Amino acid sequence: MEYTKQEFMAITTGREIKDGELIILGVGLPMLAGYFAQLNHAPDLRPFTEGGVYGSTPVGGLPWGIECNRISANATSFTNAIDALGFLVLSGRADNAVIGAAQVDKYGNVNTTGIWDEPPWKAGKYLPPKVRLNGSGGASDISVGCKRYLIMASHEKRRFMERVDYISSAGYLDGGDRRERCGFVGGGPAAIISTLGILRPDPQTKEFWLDAYFPFTTIDEVKNNTAWELKVSPDVKIVPEPTAEELKNLRTVDATGSLRKNG
Amino acid sequence: MKNKLLSIQEAVEAYTWDGMTYCNGAALPVGSCSIAFGKEMVKQGRKNLNVICHCGSQQINLLAAVGAVDRVEVGFSGLEVYGFAAGLNRAVSSGKTLIEDYSNGAMALRFFGGAMNWPFVPATVCIHNDQQWCSADHPEEYPCTRKIPEITDPFTGKKYGAMRTIRPDVAAIHVTMADIYGNAIMLGTEWNRFEMSRASGKVVLVADQIVHTDCMRQYPNLVRIISEVVDAVVYWPYAAWPQASPGLYDSDEEHMFYMNKMMKTEADTREFCDQWVNSWNSHEEYMALIGEDKIVKISQTATAFLMDPYRKWIRSDAEIRELQSRTKG
Repeated sequence: MEYTKQEFMAITTGREIKDGELIILGVGLPMLAGYFAQLNHAPDLRPFTEGGVYGSTPVGGLPWGIECNRISANATSFTNAIDALGFLVLSGRADNAVIGAAQVDKYGNVNTTGIWDEPPWKAGKYLPPKVRLNGSGGASDISVGCKRYLIMASHEKRRFMERVDYISSAGYLDGGDRRERCGFVGGGPAAIISTLGILRPDPQTKEFWLDAYFPFTTIDEVKNNTAWELKVSPDVKIVPEPTAEELKNLRTVDATGSLRKNG
Repeated sequence: MKNKLLSIQEAVEAYTWDGMTYCNGAALPVGSCSIAFGKEMVKQGRKNLNVICHCGSQQINLLAAVGAVDRVEVGFSGLEVYGFAAGLNRAVSSGKTLIEDYSNGAMALRFFGGAMNWPFVPATVCIHNDQQWCSADHPEEYPCTRKIPEITDPFTGKKYGAMRTIRPDVAAIHVTMADIYGNAIMLGTEWNRFEMSRASGKVVLVADQIVHTDCMRQYPNLVRIISEVVDAVVYWPYAAWPQASPGLYDSDEEHMFYMNKMMKTEADTREFCDQWVNSWNSHEEYMALIGEDKIVKISQTATAFLMDPYRKWIRSDAEIRELQSRTKG
């Protein structure tokens, strides 16, 4: 069956989403994964965006933004950021979320703010980045408040780092019980779904290990594309390939074929 | 009630100045944002701005690209699926513009605190991460303890952060429709506009449509921005272009990418301004620039039905011109 790695990643992420969950979806791939899940196996999913767009499904393809008309054409409610990110996310009410990452480290900390030659934690000062990214948006709120959340990232050594340049959205910080000691209401990242497989946190150390990999890759390839010494789960699995039904549902959501454009 | 209609030139002249703290609402990267107002600020040469964004949009992208922004506070600075904001990022990487990062939720809370005239809001977010430890205002200090200082909950003894609230000098807020007194209805997410309209010293509404006040009397629950907090109303259809206005028009995909590409270099930004910013004065000229085909295309939005209940109250251009001339009298 023909599909792209991006499509496989979106379907794999979608499979992690359970029916009935109250879920906040970031723009781009996370939205596709979420609405795919709703169409495929989670009809009672309750997705919303950080602007407070409720009850809608995309019309005409992947929305350009969380407030795009493609996601505003069949909503049951429009509220605001205080409501969506405050009352529903920071309060601890939302069940799940999907966020993206430019860099992610072994404890699931995410950087979406900038890339430095010498990051602030190494330089001991905060100078302008070599490359400015977007900042955290609502992902930092999600990382604090959602009961659990999923991280999607392209699996490359320069992105899967021992330590990220800048923590935009806190995962398990430096591991162990550090997150609990910080008093965050949410449970932290449940999985990192990459272009090569699924990483999950060790229950004690909170270090992410390889739980499953895609059939087109190998454990060695995943390790070679990870900058920390990636541990492998004793019962590591191969992620089942997308079914025809799953692909059909994903492509219904991704009507403009955004996931088929660059392999 | 006072008729508050002003032309876009008059509103920028009266309500913006160099060095001000300026808020562009709703500052949605793809959707509602008072972009035409920001273009007029560029035309009038405003500079040294301290911009409170919540999210980036093509407005802050342009203002930063022309070098008008000294400092910006933001939760998200990109253009979502349209990419990184090339003009803003150029200004940040070069050191021209300082950028102070928060989360989107934090920005909303800080507006809320500003509207309440509180000194600070307690933070359960932007703590224990680099949004707390990195401050563009105090670059030599890492981890910074002054941006979001630690505070103790007096009831439980637990530790949290304190975030400064936001009280901008002026907010230029894009709305779907307003009456001439400054009552407004927004379609789509209101994002931060409710809080922003109460937190700002002065408020200018930039409205795609002007409606009769009877419309507000029919849907008073939907009037989230009230005349009591509004100083001026600018009538400017397609004010958010090339971004979207739910109910009225979609984002202009081609121009969104083109504009962002042009913000990458100073030379291209100048060329862009010559062609798309400094080339119009009247609204007719602005519309001619967008072009009739494009107007037709972006107006065929799947959200058009959202406007149905309000259409009968929309005032015509001729009526608005007549009302505008009375403001001057």
